[in-house]
Amino acid sequence: MHPADLPTSVTAAPVPTPDALLSCVRDIAQGPLAQLVDAIDRQGHYPQEVLKQLASVGAMSAHLESPAGSGDFFLAIQAMAEASRVCGATGFMMWCQAVCGLYLQQSGNPALMGAVLQAHVAGRGMGGTALSNPMKSYAAIESLLLKATKVDGGFVVNGTLPWVSNLAKNHYCGAIAAIDGAGGPSREVMFLLRCDAPGVELRECPSFSAMEGTGTYALHLKNHFIGAADIIAEPAKPTIARIRAAFVMLQCGMAVGITQGAIDSMWAVEPQLGHVNQYLEDRPEAVQAELDALVVRVQAMAQTPFDTSTKFFIDVLDARAHGAELCLRATQSALMHQGARGYLMSSDVQRRVREAHFVAIVTPAIKHLRKEIARLSAEEMPA
Amino acid sequence: MNQRTAVAQGVGALAPWQQYICHACGYIYNEADGDPDSGLAAGTRFADIPEDWACPLCGVTKGDFEIYEPPSLDTLRANAQGCGPVPSAAQRHQPGVVIVGAGRAGWQLAESLRATDAELPITLVTVCAGDVYDKPLLSVAMARQLTRETLVRETGPDAARRLNLRLLAHTHAISICADAKQLRTTRGTLRYDQLVLAHGAQAALPAPLPAALCWRINHLGAYLQLRTALGEVEKSGAKDVLIVGAGLIGSELANDLALGGHCITLLDVQAEPLARWQAEQAGQQVLQAWKDLPIRFMGGMKIAKVEKMGQRIRVSTECGQQFDADHVIAATGLQTPSRLAQSAGLAWKNGIAVDPLTLRTSRAAIHAMGDCITINGQASRFIEPISRQAKTIAAAITACAPVPYEARSAIVRLKTTSMPLTLH
Repeated sequence: MHPADLPTSVTAAPVPTPDALLSCVRDIAQGPLAQLVDAIDRQGHYPQEVLKQLASVGAMSAHLESPAGSGDFFLAIQAMAEASRVCGATGFMMWCQAVCGLYLQQSGNPALMGAVLQAHVAGRGMGGTALSNPMKSYAAIESLLLKATKVDGGFVVNGTLPWVSNLAKNHYCGAIAAIDGAGGPSREVMFLLRCDAPGVELRECPSFSAMEGTGTYALHLKNHFIGAADIIAEPAKPTIARIRAAFVMLQCGMAVGITQGAIDSMWAVEPQLGHVNQYLEDRPEAVQAELDALVVRVQAMAQTPFDTSTKFFIDVLDARAHGAELCLRATQSALMHQGARGYLMSSDVQRRVREAHFVAIVTPAIKHLRKEIARLSAEEMPA
Repeated sequence: MNQRTAVAQGVGALAPWQQYICHACGYIYNEADGDPDSGLAAGTRFADIPEDWACPLCGVTKGDFEIYEPPSLDTLRANAQGCGPVPSAAQRHQPGVVIVGAGRAGWQLAESLRATDAELPITLVTVCAGDVYDKPLLSVAMARQLTRETLVRETGPDAARRLNLRLLAHTHAISICADAKQLRTTRGTLRYDQLVLAHGAQAALPAPLPAALCWRINHLGAYLQLRTALGEVEKSGAKDVLIVGAGLIGSELANDLALGGHCITLLDVQAEPLARWQAEQAGQQVLQAWKDLPIRFMGGMKIAKVEKMGQRIRVSTECGQQFDADHVIAATGLQTPSRLAQSAGLAWKNGIAVDPLTLRTSRAAIHAMGDCITINGQASRFIEPISRQAKTIAAAITACAPVPYEARSAIVRLKTTSMPLTLH
């Protein structure tokens, strides 16, 4: 479908100001999302309606180019932070949706950049990202799990991916498969993997800590055909090189929001418990100052999301690592601040501790970030 | 119900909802929300709660609640500022001094600090193994047949034990959060009271020279790798080594590798070696000293391209000459890495700008020394100033009487064993 054929409400949606967008996101987060957060955490409820609302106000597409101009990555990160402040799992799904949109837009494939992208931006289409394994593969941490064989008109893909989030039967995700080939340098294909396509099966995962409501499944592919219409990039490496900093940078929204939520919880008990909490490390003022400094750093990076220099990528990896470390400390401290009441399963501070653990271990985990920074920082010498 | 009670209830319903806090556990009963799990509908006034109601979190009774007014964040902040951490806690977690770099500068500072304070916590962060060695010896190691064992005066772990400091070897320092006084590294984040940057400089590689094809000899690790790659002349024969840059380091390496039996081609854009000391005719003297060594010097050569040709490497110059070699070494000068300084917003002038007397950077808790600093825009990448710099910084950190630093111009002794030169 040509964009001109779409209803004007889709193509010419008014672009809200950053303040208006954040205000909408805040209302959704503190309204309907706050009502659901316990069900998301403890019953594995997938908050489809809230995600659609967030998409419809532009919360997961602020970073994408639009007729109004280039995307605003910092705004996308702030929006994610507003939701994560209330529910880290929802913040994570916003990141999934946001990077999936980035894949579609960066594909250069007219079949993906038209109606598919429009539906995605509007929240009528939802998707995730199966790039955990490929990102680790590019950082020399593990090898690719999906294998593609070239056939007439496309590829046939086989393999299993564990743990892909923001999925449902009618959702999709960006994925990468290694192309079988005789010798030569390795070559990969990046494609849009539709969960309801023939040869694709969603399998339930064991229960997750904090992330049970994120629509996370194992994806099992058996002789799954992908045609030209669903190719995001081939070869995949140049596209990954272009978007990897943006991919990692966007994750900072989760860390910023969860940390801010933890600070909120520390202040909430200050009147009653300040007299004992003063003996704790990581008091709210100190954590806030560190968070504010980190946000300033992220804001500066968000101006050049497609800078492909090694120096910039190290900066982004370091900010992401700092966010993960800070939200671990902040959520731990918030639990200490709240004491026994924070230890209840219904308490948001202990939920946030589990959310922070997720930020610390989701790809790229703190250990991956450090390994990759070390690898990129090493002086190259003749072999 | 009499009329008076009904009126009172009507008035009560119009009053704003109140919150009540449990003394025991901090649970807040909000009249607007009620406590549906205990059968209290939303909108149930606290006064109307039955006396047998219990706190849903901790089980205490209504009598343990009192009215609660959430204070403003500003009030909380103002109150919180008055109560800092208790001194004993601060001492227990004293981060002490963090030094970045385990070259001569880093170790020298650790020695000076330990000499004045036996207890001060010191952490040394370094990309390399942290072994203690004399870098100038790398320029004569082949002629003197020095091995790794004889070059390393003390291993990093041994020196760390002797000085009672924590050594983080093979660790990259990535950024400084100056306000929070944290150094971020690839092995975790370190807090510091005082940070000293002694990370040195690294080889500056002009664009036509790819890192994957050109050795840079600025530390022991790279030097030992080169020695392994060159092999022993008796076993694997003499190698053709092309050195780009005939300054001090390039000339010393050319001299030493030639004495080790290898065939050297030494290129420079200048007409003669050691052009910086042209007035002292250093170039003529050194060429004279080399006349019986396998060193071919060619001046006026600007590198255009370096490429791999099978097992050999081809170097092409802008004037159209081509040289094939087994190994290429770039000795094209040094530059200070700016990552850490930039992240802390330190003043920068061709390097980390420090105060000439105190060696303090533009941030109060950060000093810098050695090859990474400049004083009035001038770097002085020599050995002599380092121990004096260490004394100045150690005195400042341990709050001893100040030892002002004095910047002097260096005297250079060229280590060409065939004919030593002293240059000013």
